[in-house]
Amino acid sequence: MVSVLKRSLAIITLLIIGYWLAQGLAGVPFGQDKMLVGHYYLDHVKEQTGAVNAVTAIVVNYRGFDTLGEVTVLFIASTGVGALLWERKKRRTAKTEGSIVLTTGTRLLVPFVMLFGAYIFIHGHLTPGGGFPGGATIATAFLLLYMAFTMYEIPHKAFEKTEGLVGMGYVIVGLIGLAIGGYFLFDWIWQTWGWGHDNIGRLFSGGFIPIIYILIGLKVGTELSGIIDNMLKEGVKE
Amino acid sequence: MEEASRASKFVYTFIVLFILWLVVTASLDSQELITGAVIALIVAALTHDVFTRAGLANLHPKRVAYAIAYIPYFLWAMIMANLDVAYRVLHPARPIRPGIVKCRTVLNSDTGKLSLANSITLTPGTITLDVDGDNYFIHWIWVPDEVLNAKDDSEHVEKASEAITRPFEKYLRVIFG
Repeated sequence: MVSVLKRSLAIITLLIIGYWLAQGLAGVPFGQDKMLVGHYYLDHVKEQTGAVNAVTAIVVNYRGFDTLGEVTVLFIASTGVGALLWERKKRRTAKTEGSIVLTTGTRLLVPFVMLFGAYIFIHGHLTPGGGFPGGATIATAFLLLYMAFTMYEIPHKAFEKTEGLVGMGYVIVGLIGLAIGGYFLFDWIWQTWGWGHDNIGRLFSGGFIPIIYILIGLKVGTELSGIIDNMLKEGVKE
Repeated sequence: MEEASRASKFVYTFIVLFILWLVVTASLDSQELITGAVIALIVAALTHDVFTRAGLANLHPKRVAYAIAYIPYFLWAMIMANLDVAYRVLHPARPIRPGIVKCRTVLNSDTGKLSLANSITLTPGTITLDVDGDNYFIHWIWVPDEVLNAKDDSEHVEKASEAITRPFEKYLRVIFG
């Protein structure tokens, strides 16, 4: 008896839930385009942010707070690598110097790689790319130097200072927005000052997107170089 | 080649980087030019010591002219080598006689040696395996008789260099020294 009661109760509950779900789904129009947010971005991106590249406008402008979080995640990852691989005294242990082809090729390529990385993060609001790939490209230049020369090390002091300053710079840009426009990461350059309204699609436009992407590019570049440095060096006994 | 002054190295690196910026942006917009100049200045300040030894001497008109003339010369050498390798691959008897030969270069600068190694590798049929001082060790798809039957080491090096490195060195020695 008990099992029949239990079973019918379960069936009734299922029917109620099913009816409720069906009622809810009936309200959703079938076969219609539901990209309301996406269309809103695409229709308003130029007037609201001044960026031609809608993807970077969403990442840096509409969802700037999320990107600040991503930068924080990267910072924590880099700190974690540093903590896991920590040794009292570390140095390069590579023994074989690269061949003449590798070392000379590295010498010739490093400036080009750096310039190209800078190109990528400065044109984030115009072309595909932005601070993260640009910074990774710059870190590649330092990886090349590490692989070609046994004694090479990044200038640690300068890198740590740059990393801290650009991280603070991002927050300060957001705080200026809070002071001028009333919320954190308000685009004061585009919306309050109105810079670049007459040349959308040229380089000096897009509000604070290029500024933030320069900061992110430098931060990612220095941070990834620091990770490379941490991974390539080994602890030595004193 | 003697080491150039810091200023000369810096200006040379800046010029090369600015030209690269023009190529990458493909634009003569004043905003791009200003930004490119600033970025090239910063990158040149950071890397001019790594990038070059000879500095502005690299932009000597004779060197630039030889560098431009080297492009069609090298492309022609590459086309001929391609046809040669295609002939060897398609021929029913497959006439290949691979081997590693040793060449000696007359180039002094590191950049020149790098260009020579890459030129040899880029032309089909020959691959640079290693560069050790002035000696190049090259894998060759068809080692000709005069190299194969060389009486001693110096004749082997002489004949192999004659066939592989000399044609490129005519230009590279002027371009890179």
